[in-house]
Amino acid sequence: MLDSRLGMFGLLSDAGPVVLMVLSLLLLFSIISWAIIAFKFGYLRKSLRESKAFLDYFFEVYNVDKAFTESENFRNGSLPRVFRSAYIEYRALGDKGDIRHARARIARAVKREVNAENKRLSTLVPFLATVGNTAPFIGLFGTVWGIMNSFHNIGLTQSASLAAVAPGISEALIATAAGLAAAIPAVIAYNYFTQQISIIERDLEEFSPEFVAAFINEP
Amino acid sequence: MKKGQKLMTAEKKFSLWLAAAAFMHALVLFLLLYLQIWDSGRHVKPKIISVSLISLPGSGGAGVHSESPGANSPPPAVEPAVKDAVPEKLQPVAPKPVPVEPPRPKVVDKPVDINKALERLKQKVAEKTPPLTKQATSSNLNKALADLQQKVKNNGRQAGTGSGEGRPGSYGGRSSVGKGSGSGGTADPYKAEIAGIIQQNWSFSNPLLKKNSYGMSVYVRINILADGTIRQIVFDKRAPSEYLNNSVKKALEKSSPLPALPKEAGSRDVWIGFVFTPEGIE
Repeated sequence: MLDSRLGMFGLLSDAGPVVLMVLSLLLLFSIISWAIIAFKFGYLRKSLRESKAFLDYFFEVYNVDKAFTESENFRNGSLPRVFRSAYIEYRALGDKGDIRHARARIARAVKREVNAENKRLSTLVPFLATVGNTAPFIGLFGTVWGIMNSFHNIGLTQSASLAAVAPGISEALIATAAGLAAAIPAVIAYNYFTQQISIIERDLEEFSPEFVAAFINEP
Repeated sequence: MKKGQKLMTAEKKFSLWLAAAAFMHALVLFLLLYLQIWDSGRHVKPKIISVSLISLPGSGGAGVHSESPGANSPPPAVEPAVKDAVPEKLQPVAPKPVPVEPPRPKVVDKPVDINKALERLKQKVAEKTPPLTKQATSSNLNKALADLQQKVKNNGRQAGTGSGEGRPGSYGGRSSVGKGSGSGGTADPYKAEIAGIIQQNWSFSNPLLKKNSYGMSVYVRINILADGTIRQIVFDKRAPSEYLNNSVKKALEKSSPLPALPKEAGSRDVWIGFVFTPEGIE
């Protein structure tokens, strides 16, 4: 009676260890995926917003000292970070008369920071792709295993009636449903984050030379 | 140093989100569970499905019982049961013919006479309808009863013990057990005793079948000799699962010989019926 009232959960109480393991794994995948989604969503949104605000300020004042002071307010933005590293390198230059040397050193510092920023932006995102790709297959494995057991039980009971066949298959299909439930948000989030990261990367590529030029042309 | 601090902060943030995600999953699962329980409570399954028709032929188990001791009592035990049962079902049918009465224009002038006439008509209809409706509605019931009676008679004759004593009228289902009073008194304790023995010898444990027990029932009649030996096992209705059927057969074979019949039953053999379901013996 309780089993019938619990529905899906009642079915799970009779599931085999393999199916339960598959479901636990998928639950873990889902939890981690959602944690990454929430973490990255906030991180990327903040980075985009602060980069945009910093760029507006930078083009408005076009003064590296003022821009550096202002960049302290945008610690989460990718562009302000790159600008700060370039500024630190510029200030560390002993001889500012050798423009070619100064440009090369600043450009190197900017490139290094851009690379670090790219890595930082894309951290954890590949896990979403992994979940999106593998979760349905893991779920399918659980289903195949469950159906296999179900048919084995049918053989034991020597009855192929719907009442004997259906619950086993229904129980097994829960694994596929769980796999899809874990994979679908992961794939959606992965596509969204990839697109957001590519926007920030494009900004970094476009404005890095602009920063270098700003330091060299500084009066 | 600063980078290390930043990493720590990011890790802390991520662990916080991890905990939040775990909590959200637990919440969603709990809500799903709650919704399913709530939803199952809303859609109450009609209980009629498993009770009404299936129990009719199989209830012979209880019926046979009640009849067994009444060896010397007069045979027409079947008829009262049928007569009692039919009018109950006919109650909603009987009023139908009443509106057929032709309306008369004199209603306004002499209401008293018309009422009397209506009463007479009702009485006439009531007198006429019972035999007709009996034939119409109780045909299935009678057929089932007649078949069972025939089976028991044949079995009794083959065994040589019969001579019309083993009145199968009490096969008429559980509903008739109560009405057919007196006859079932002595057999019940004996039936309970042998049911316990059979249950002990019945090794059936399949969770899959237990869970989907709808339609999984075996109606069995056993012919017990006076010394308690099971002479014959008759499957009135087999379950879709051969596993269940075989387990029942094995249990019965294993239980033989049963305790000797009570003295009230005399020296003749007795037919006793059981209903085996994955939940147990009924």
